[in-house]
Amino acid sequence: MRKNSGALGTVPFVALGLAWLLIPMLTKIPPYALPTPGEVIGRLYSGVVDGSLPKDVLASLRRLLLGFCIGNGLAIPLGIAIALNRRVSDLLRPLLTFLASIGGIAWVPLAVVWLGVGSGAVLFVIANQIFFGSIYNTVTGVETIPRVLRRAVLSNGARGTQMLWELIVPGALAQIIVGLRTSMAYGWRALVAAEMIAGTNGIGFRMMEAVKWYQTDTIVLGMIVIGVLWLVLDALLFSRLERATVVRWGLLRETA
Amino acid sequence: MSVGAGASFRSGAVGQVAFRRIERGVLGAAGVAGLVLLWQAAASLSGVPRYFFPSPRDVAGAFTVLLEKGILPAYLADSAGRYLAGIGLGTAIGLALGLALGVSRRAASMFGPLLNFFYAIVEVAWIPIFVIWWGYGLRTILVALVYVVAFPVLFNTQAAVRATPRVLIDAVRALGASPRQVLGEVIFPAALPGIITGFRVGAGFAFRGLIFAEMIAAKNGIGYLILTSAANHATDRTIAGMIVVGTVWLVIDQLYLRPFERVTVERWGVLRHAEE
Repeated sequence: MRKNSGALGTVPFVALGLAWLLIPMLTKIPPYALPTPGEVIGRLYSGVVDGSLPKDVLASLRRLLLGFCIGNGLAIPLGIAIALNRRVSDLLRPLLTFLASIGGIAWVPLAVVWLGVGSGAVLFVIANQIFFGSIYNTVTGVETIPRVLRRAVLSNGARGTQMLWELIVPGALAQIIVGLRTSMAYGWRALVAAEMIAGTNGIGFRMMEAVKWYQTDTIVLGMIVIGVLWLVLDALLFSRLERATVVRWGLLRETA
Repeated sequence: MSVGAGASFRSGAVGQVAFRRIERGVLGAAGVAGLVLLWQAAASLSGVPRYFFPSPRDVAGAFTVLLEKGILPAYLADSAGRYLAGIGLGTAIGLALGLALGVSRRAASMFGPLLNFFYAIVEVAWIPIFVIWWGYGLRTILVALVYVVAFPVLFNTQAAVRATPRVLIDAVRALGASPRQVLGEVIFPAALPGIITGFRVGAGFAFRGLIFAEMIAAKNGIGYLILTSAANHATDRTIAGMIVVGTVWLVIDQLYLRPFERVTVERWGVLRHAEE
């Protein structure tokens, strides 16, 4: 739907670029408030040459990946375990719903008290955000597997691991993937936010530092990098993952 | 006799459902109570300083003080005002643009890529430049909220409008409906479930965005409370604030957004139809 836009889609980009070039010449906006495209490109160049930009990007991506793996690595098995037993699920579900609704960003100050300013606090926030977002979806995914299917598989003699791999995991997969994707979207925001408040490196930290010195070229560059990184991540990871799994099995409803 | 049997069968089923609901509530409450007890035990037995790991009692105390001094109600009102204004304005903008892009294929393919790119620059990333432009304050927060709500509403509205069955539009048009009637009486109702879904997604992001924006750019509100209290070693207040954040979101989501979505979706029967 938004695919075959082609050349027409580049028009607004060109228009925006032109406007960006012309606005500083035609208006009296102070230079510190709006850097020229040239300045931002210059900042990109110097950042790449002295290696500071790739370093920040890698620091942020590493944290995101680590938080994603820790959060989901704990949430998915735990979520499945919880959902398999009705009583355990009844016991923990309200608690998990509540903790999920606090949201990672609200944890930032507490994370700083506990772990100090730096990578530890940022990682805690993002893993926390991803864990709670993901576990909720996993539990829901397992619980919405039709009871009929479960009974059918049981009466055919499936037990234990066979039950897990042939019913539970595939049955809950669509919801788990929805969870992966949503938790990544929230996690990405939490990462940038946590770096801005509690970071000592990474893109978010660099942007907030730049505010102190009115280095708007660094800020605008950071915004563009964040946008491009998200598009790349989304295209590389999730669109592909969804196509390979959910869409193939015909489970996707175009809602989210 | 058969009536009696039917009635007793039915009341048995009702009883079972009620029992299940009670069981669920009791177990859920037990889970929460269990965590609070564990937390209290850990805090009092570990001997860790209070500012580092306050106990539930400390947090309850902080909560009471915040209530009695009127800080919490005032901050809640600040946050609520910003939130409502932000999502209201954001929804209106997203809705208008989404309808326009949904109706016009040309506009959609023209502006689609640009919008995708700007949506990828998450609202959190806009805060630094907003701070440069407008300083720390209401405008920065409000624009960030409008930004984060408008996009999901826009995309979902556009997709939902696009999915309106062509037949319906043609039929109504053949009956002599004006373009305005087509939009108001066919396209808009058909797109409503999608619009609501977009609204729910946007409202969720905006709630987190609000807390963050208040941490950076406000001198009051719940986000400010959480951050400043931690900086002043009043960690019990921080946790009280976090609990308020969680509770408020739970109330918004479970009491308003989800039922709202269910009602619209059920009334128009779109989701059920798609699921079959």
